[in-house]
Amino acid sequence: MLPLISIVLATLLLGTVGTFLAGSRARWVALGTSAVFLAEVALLLASYPGWPGYSSSLVPGFSDTETYSWISVAWLHVDYAVGVDGISLIFILLTAILQVATVVYSWGETHRPAGYFGLVLLTCLGCFGVFVALDVLLFFLFWEAVLVPMFFLIGYWGGPNRRYAALKFFIYTHVASIVMLVGLLALVFYSGATSLDFSAVYAAAGNLAPVVQTFLFLALFFGFAVKFPVVPFHTWLPDAHVEAPTGGSVLLAGLLLKLGGYGLIRWAVEVLPHGFHSAQPLLFLIAFITIVWGSVLSLAQRDLKRLVAYSSINHMGIVLLAIALDSSLGLLAAVLLMFAHGIVSGLLFMASGSVHHQYGTRDISSLGGITPSAPALSTMIMAGSLASLGLPALISFPAEFTAFLATWNGLGYWVLIPLVVLVVTAGFYLWMMQRMLFGEKKGVPLDVHDVPWYEGAGMGLLVALTVLFGILPSLLVNVIVNSPIRGWPGT
Amino acid sequence: MSVSSFAGPFVPELVLLAGTLLIFLLDVLKVRRIELTGGIAVAATLAALGVVVADLGFAPLAFLATVPASQIDVAPAAGAAPLFAFTSFGLVFQAIFLLATFFVALASVSRPSDERGAPIFYGLLLLATIGMLLVAIASDLIFLLLAIEVVSIASYLLVAYTRKDVRGLEAAMKFFVIGALSTVLSFFGASLLFGAYGTTNLYLIRAAGTAVGYPVLVLLGYGFLIAGLAFKVTLVPFHAWAVDVYDGAPDDVSAFLAGGTKKIGVFAFFLVFLGPVLAVGAVGSSGYGLFGGSVALGASFQITLGALAVVTMTVGNVLALLQKEMKRMLAYSSISQAGYMLIGIAIGTAPALGGATLQVFAHVLMKTGAFLVVGAAAAIGVGPLIDDWRGLGLKRPLLGVSFALMLLSLAGVPLTIGFVSKFVLFSAAVDAQGWFIWLAVAGLLNSALSVFYYARVLKVMFFDAAPAPAGAPAGSVVGGAGPPALPLGGIGYGRAASLAIIAALIVAFGIYPQAVLGAIQSAAYHFVTVGA
Repeated sequence: MLPLISIVLATLLLGTVGTFLAGSRARWVALGTSAVFLAEVALLLASYPGWPGYSSSLVPGFSDTETYSWISVAWLHVDYAVGVDGISLIFILLTAILQVATVVYSWGETHRPAGYFGLVLLTCLGCFGVFVALDVLLFFLFWEAVLVPMFFLIGYWGGPNRRYAALKFFIYTHVASIVMLVGLLALVFYSGATSLDFSAVYAAAGNLAPVVQTFLFLALFFGFAVKFPVVPFHTWLPDAHVEAPTGGSVLLAGLLLKLGGYGLIRWAVEVLPHGFHSAQPLLFLIAFITIVWGSVLSLAQRDLKRLVAYSSINHMGIVLLAIALDSSLGLLAAVLLMFAHGIVSGLLFMASGSVHHQYGTRDISSLGGITPSAPALSTMIMAGSLASLGLPALISFPAEFTAFLATWNGLGYWVLIPLVVLVVTAGFYLWMMQRMLFGEKKGVPLDVHDVPWYEGAGMGLLVALTVLFGILPSLLVNVIVNSPIRGWPGT
Repeated sequence: MSVSSFAGPFVPELVLLAGTLLIFLLDVLKVRRIELTGGIAVAATLAALGVVVADLGFAPLAFLATVPASQIDVAPAAGAAPLFAFTSFGLVFQAIFLLATFFVALASVSRPSDERGAPIFYGLLLLATIGMLLVAIASDLIFLLLAIEVVSIASYLLVAYTRKDVRGLEAAMKFFVIGALSTVLSFFGASLLFGAYGTTNLYLIRAAGTAVGYPVLVLLGYGFLIAGLAFKVTLVPFHAWAVDVYDGAPDDVSAFLAGGTKKIGVFAFFLVFLGPVLAVGAVGSSGYGLFGGSVALGASFQITLGALAVVTMTVGNVLALLQKEMKRMLAYSSISQAGYMLIGIAIGTAPALGGATLQVFAHVLMKTGAFLVVGAAAAIGVGPLIDDWRGLGLKRPLLGVSFALMLLSLAGVPLTIGFVSKFVLFSAAVDAQGWFIWLAVAGLLNSALSVFYYARVLKVMFFDAAPAPAGAPAGSVVGGAGPPALPLGGIGYGRAASLAIIAALIVAFGIYPQAVLGAIQSAAYHFVTVGA
């Protein structure tokens, strides 16, 4: 069998290096790499149980695994171990989609394009690595590798306050990573695992006393929570988003936030079930606070990008809630939500980037009636907003519906909190559309054009997927449920 | 008929000696082209390296082997007191030493070809390397200290060989005085140990362990040895000379001192203190007072060495944070790295020893390389301050990228050899249990601390705008007074090749550490179980 995952990694690595060296042709190299990446991901998907046309009678588990010894000493083995299951495949698909969309959207980038596209590819490489890594150290390595290109993307291509934002982003997430690493290594050493392999750590963690598990879980949770981000570790996110270039924002919201959720599911919840159970109340508390506070903050924003950034925090709160439920349905909802949020927030960040390019401002109250002069852009904003507020037949609806159903099953009337918040947010989105897209013409220059074709194409791709997966969520669900997760059919 | 039957096992040393003599002979004959002398030195070093690697069992070079495998890692007959012995651990160190010499020799070819003293430089470089190779096979205290002396005398001269630079002369003077003091202390310690053990043979001393009749003599003797050797390894508080010397010496010589000769002290520590430290494992490490009836001095040595390690890495790091000059920053970082290496000997288990050896190997690549980059930067007219390096990374991609890799490796970033070495060393400390875990914690905290000053250099090199050009760089002086410009914009082929090789090795061994890790681990294991 082909070592597909290594081939993908090699593709992305070569593509990144090629892009850095390609000078003014960088975007072509980046586009070619993204296309190959997407094709390879399609191959990975096509051979996983649950995907249409693939026999689902196979026993699911990690597939396409590869293991090579990396650092091997008598008392510890570190491997290059990779593999995918349904959950990671969904995130890999998201990575490929967002990479293509970002590269297309950024086609007109003229400021050091080689560096820009190279860093975009490098970020996606890191995210892909996180999703496939099945070794503690390899996981951490990719996890950190995501930080660096994003730091440079914000620091070089960002807005006026980019240095502050880049540094804040780096410090917050790096400190979190260190705590996470300490947690992971403590997990290895305390459990007596002699290998850093996922399966070895998973097996050895069962020996740990519940108290130890709780402490380890909290350390890991802290590391993942900052990436999520949840209140009170969220303050880096709006700054980073506002200063980041549009492509950087898309990857930040679409992929980097998902690392937190993925890491929590794969390395904390699954490995340390006892620790998870004892931390559950804390998780619920944080999730509810995040949902409410993220929404309240988003209501107060006048900047379109900040609005999207804070509503991201709100969404990630729902993800945390779904994970914390500790039910099969909740976990499924969490994965679906993250996928949906990746697509939709990518779309919305692109749209707000386009608004900024066209009108020179993202201030909602100073714009009005832009639809007649820019119908395409207006359509994209509308599609993104409607998807974000959970309109049926768009991608967020099945995800949010599942999440609320799972919350009802697990917590009963507590589901009212996210529901009410959702209604308020929906109202705010509608109001934003009403003010900005329709109504009196305001702040629109006379010679304004609609979005350039590449920006339209990048957003159009995401809109199409929003509709596709909104109508056919089963495409995703069937893959996800074949993952080797406790209590799922795959185990 | 193998080479060994007529040259004995000293082929590497003899090759280097032949190179030295040839270089001095050519000097007398007034043939002083730096390409020629440098070429001889590089060739001799490479040949010696080939032989050593072959001795280590590297199959493709087996035809070069001079020491039969059956004579490596063999304990001497009971009561025998050999002056030297071949251990795979020693051979690993020989290879590391030769690697350092090779990088320096190769890079130095790029110095101005009409510079006076090039033959002296290369001759002394090879001479010092001979001493280093002898250190690595020593199994007798006196032999060891004499070999160290060979290295020291050659390196005093190396620091001053240009005879023009006042700073170099001052550094050499300081180096000499401190070196003499260190020698005196070491020999005094050795003589005390002779009084206690009745021998200076390390095998016999190790066999006797710490169970001898004169614990005070043993304590004093090892104490003086620690002090004497600590100067060589630049342990805090015996470090103060190092910064001035590294700072004042010619750049290539700094690279050799920090990357090469310093490691003989580390090896000497391994050799001398492994005996008492291992004795702890035999008798158990708790319940013994320093001057009690049954004295297990080993535990107190472990604590002393561990404390020295922590103090050294912390002080080195904190002072490095405060430096404004590139060379001084690197010098302090070099001091802190010595602290990491000492962790291995304080623990004394085979894994920790292997980790420390890997750290030594990594340090040769990183620190030699870093000082060579500084030399290259000086050659193209970059000033001594860190701020003078603004924008250099983008303007000079070779220097920028290779230096970035070295700094990242020093900081312990994954996919570099520096990460692997720290990972192996610290995890070995955790594996050893007990209070050694705190050594790992101290090491980790220090690594985190060190990231700040390495990252600052990266920021200056890649983020800050380059200063406006203030006149032509030194390498391209117009008007005929200065030396002709070197190829590659003043860096020169030799330096460029050396830096490129180092950068490639840092990454290659970071990705595939097993290439060296296996050999080092097994050598360390044999060293602990069989060797001196």
